[in-house]
Amino acid sequence: MRILMLTWEFPPMISGGLGMACYGIVKALLNLGVEIDLVLPTKLAVYFPLRKPEDADLLPVEFFHKQERAEYREETKTMTKLEERLKVLGITERPETYINFRDLKDYETLIHYGTEKFSSITAYSEYKLYRETPPVSGEDLMFKNIRDSLIGEEDIFRKVQEFTMRATMMAKINDYDLIHSHDWLTYPAAMFIRKITAKPLIVHIHATEFDRSGGAGDERIHKIEFSGMSYADRVIAVSKYTAQMVMTRYRIDSGKMRIVHNAHTTNIIAKKSQEQRLFQGPTILFLGRITIQKGPDYFLDVARRVLEKHPKARFIMAGTGDMFRKLLHKSAQYRLKNRFLFTGFLNREEVETILSNTDIYMLPSVSEPFGIAPLEAMAYGIVAVISRQSGVTEVIDNAFKIDFWDVDKMSETICYLIENPEVSREIGYQGMLEVEQIRWDKAAQEIREVYREFTEEHPAAKGRVKE
Amino acid sequence: MLNFVFYFQVHQPYRLKHYRVLDINNNTEYFDEPLNETIVRKVAAKCYLPANNLLLKLIKAHRGKFKIAYSISGVTIEQFRKYAPEVLASFKELAATGMVEFLGETYYHSLASLYDTDEFLEQVQMHRDLIRKEFGQYPTVFRNTELIYQDKLSDLIYEEGFKVILTEGVDRILKWRTPLYAYKNYSKDISLLLKYYMLSDDIAFRFSNRSWPEHPLTVEKFIHWVNQLTLSEKNNKNLFLNLFMDYETFGEHQWEETGIFDFVAQLPGEVLKHSHLGFAHPSQCHELSNYQQESLSFPEPVSWADQERDVSAWVENDMQQNAVNTIYELIGEIKKRGRSDLLETARYLTTSDHFYYMCTKYFQDGDVHKYFSPYDSPEQAYIYYINALADLEERLYDK
Repeated sequence: MRILMLTWEFPPMISGGLGMACYGIVKALLNLGVEIDLVLPTKLAVYFPLRKPEDADLLPVEFFHKQERAEYREETKTMTKLEERLKVLGITERPETYINFRDLKDYETLIHYGTEKFSSITAYSEYKLYRETPPVSGEDLMFKNIRDSLIGEEDIFRKVQEFTMRATMMAKINDYDLIHSHDWLTYPAAMFIRKITAKPLIVHIHATEFDRSGGAGDERIHKIEFSGMSYADRVIAVSKYTAQMVMTRYRIDSGKMRIVHNAHTTNIIAKKSQEQRLFQGPTILFLGRITIQKGPDYFLDVARRVLEKHPKARFIMAGTGDMFRKLLHKSAQYRLKNRFLFTGFLNREEVETILSNTDIYMLPSVSEPFGIAPLEAMAYGIVAVISRQSGVTEVIDNAFKIDFWDVDKMSETICYLIENPEVSREIGYQGMLEVEQIRWDKAAQEIREVYREFTEEHPAAKGRVKE
Repeated sequence: MLNFVFYFQVHQPYRLKHYRVLDINNNTEYFDEPLNETIVRKVAAKCYLPANNLLLKLIKAHRGKFKIAYSISGVTIEQFRKYAPEVLASFKELAATGMVEFLGETYYHSLASLYDTDEFLEQVQMHRDLIRKEFGQYPTVFRNTELIYQDKLSDLIYEEGFKVILTEGVDRILKWRTPLYAYKNYSKDISLLLKYYMLSDDIAFRFSNRSWPEHPLTVEKFIHWVNQLTLSEKNNKNLFLNLFMDYETFGEHQWEETGIFDFVAQLPGEVLKHSHLGFAHPSQCHELSNYQQESLSFPEPVSWADQERDVSAWVENDMQQNAVNTIYELIGEIKKRGRSDLLETARYLTTSDHFYYMCTKYFQDGDVHKYFSPYDSPEQAYIYYINALADLEERLYDK
């Protein structure tokens, strides 16, 4: 079985949980023998044919343009490090740093699906020789949504347009059985590939615009999300919470929804002894993007209340984000002295250090489709206080689950944990044992089941299953 | 008679390194030694050494007639000892001429006068002892950090036996009065000399500004302006033209290429050509003032910084206030627990520059702040500072 997988983030190109989740899924699928052609928003037009589990880390590369391949080989001839080669491909730690306007020149043609212009696309016409695409009811409207919504001068929209342009190239990668697309950024490309190749499409919801914006959000993105999910043959949600949101807010047919919970890759770590710690007092951690979705302002409000009762506690806000300055000024305005600290961006190793110095982990997300970070914290034996509006609460019992807006209850809980360190340690220990069982293998098996539904039932896929 | 009173401020802070949360309890080195050394050596080469050399020559050339005053913070003298001992030696050479007066200030160039009276007086005494040790003078003239001054400060300073305080000639206090007279503080105990900011800033800030209509500034032009000032004063009163500025003006803020050193070289000779013009030390204002000094009240703190000439450059926004309150609270706690091993480090963190880097004022003044800051943003400066205070506190409660 071979999958064409499209995603926006993959290590080392990571800005949030999407990249970590995709890595976990890809590696576990490779372990199950599923082969994956991975496409990322790279600067050069390439894909990554992953065949063995270790390929998830090595990222072997294949080019769409022969000339670029030759140039790349020349340029990387003397390079010994993987990181250097990935940099040439345009994989950086932070995506969205470049746009190839060259690739965008045909964008107008591509998005005019249903018109003469669209039929003139080479990839499309080549495929038409082989099979008639079974139409999806209402698909004209779905593609019209893409045409009308994937517009804008923002970097991210230009990048998505560029990525979508590569759909015609991706369509030509011949051997895959179905398309698996993660989050709205890759939906337009996935839709065109499905249109061109008639191969089944699975879209995977890691977060919706409602989650990210903490409110209504960008209407263009809603429309792209709606169209992608409507056009897809299956929709995978990372939690019941997200499935519920997709069904009520986007009116997606529940018959094609599947729920596959995320997992984590953290190894269980014994906590450091008190002497080696960063802080002697109780340490409470926020770890994630400092953005409205994650509820950093609730963390600050809780800190303010807890510090009134326990002035020796330290609150650490780890990460960066658009609300960083606002939170910093507010923490100063609250006069939290040197009790509320900001780490700035942390690399993987530094995250591990900060986790091994933390007593209580807080995730006050306003809307969290899943939330892998609390599982990682729990793997360190840290007691977690998580908002009820988080999908991760569906898979764990040994954590405190509180509404994100209930600052009183959160503060009381944290005070209680500070005052009862032995209870805190015991819950942390139980949580550690619990999350040890939550592994990607299970998620990958469930995803493979979704694939199998298709490879066996979808008319266009008949006879192409290799297993 | 109009007396030029030159006072130059010599100050370099111990700048903080990019001290991160993960450094806490792992690293007690808060200060960026390589950076501090680089800056001190650079400014020594561009300013301190050539300017000292020039002024020494001028003092010798105009025997007994050309006088100047310096205030050098304690943290700066420490850094001279460590990074540029030749600079300290050349200041001593200047001191030996007898034509140079050294003023008193806080050892750490701090804002302690606004936050902690005991700490303030201790820092003033530390600095006075240091000046006596290094230059053989016991200061009788006081200038507070950044010329910050208010009524209650004068009481403290008078108690300490100082005779004169220097501060800014703030318009909202002076109103119709001229800063050319010597004044008294509100309780008439101590004399005040007020900076003539127009003419001071013509040299310190505008000298090389090509869009300034008066550019280039020549000594003739400057003395012409000064002469115009005295036209209305015919009663043989002794006036003081207080030209107060950062010493780094010479060669560092105004580069050598601007002609700033030539300007300084010519000035004393040109001034002394006029019989009604001369030079004086700040401490001479008692003996020289031949009139009843009017008393001035400064109910709120003033300073020489920015358009506002108040303390908003250091302690206006929330970051600055949270930071400054936390350090003084910590110093109180350190003293209470008798942790003399931590006191010196804590005091380095009282230097006003740390708070200046956190300033978020925009427009003109914001630019000046940015120019002097070693950090990307006020927020970064705040983060490193607060992290250092967190570590200091961890050490305080450690034993």
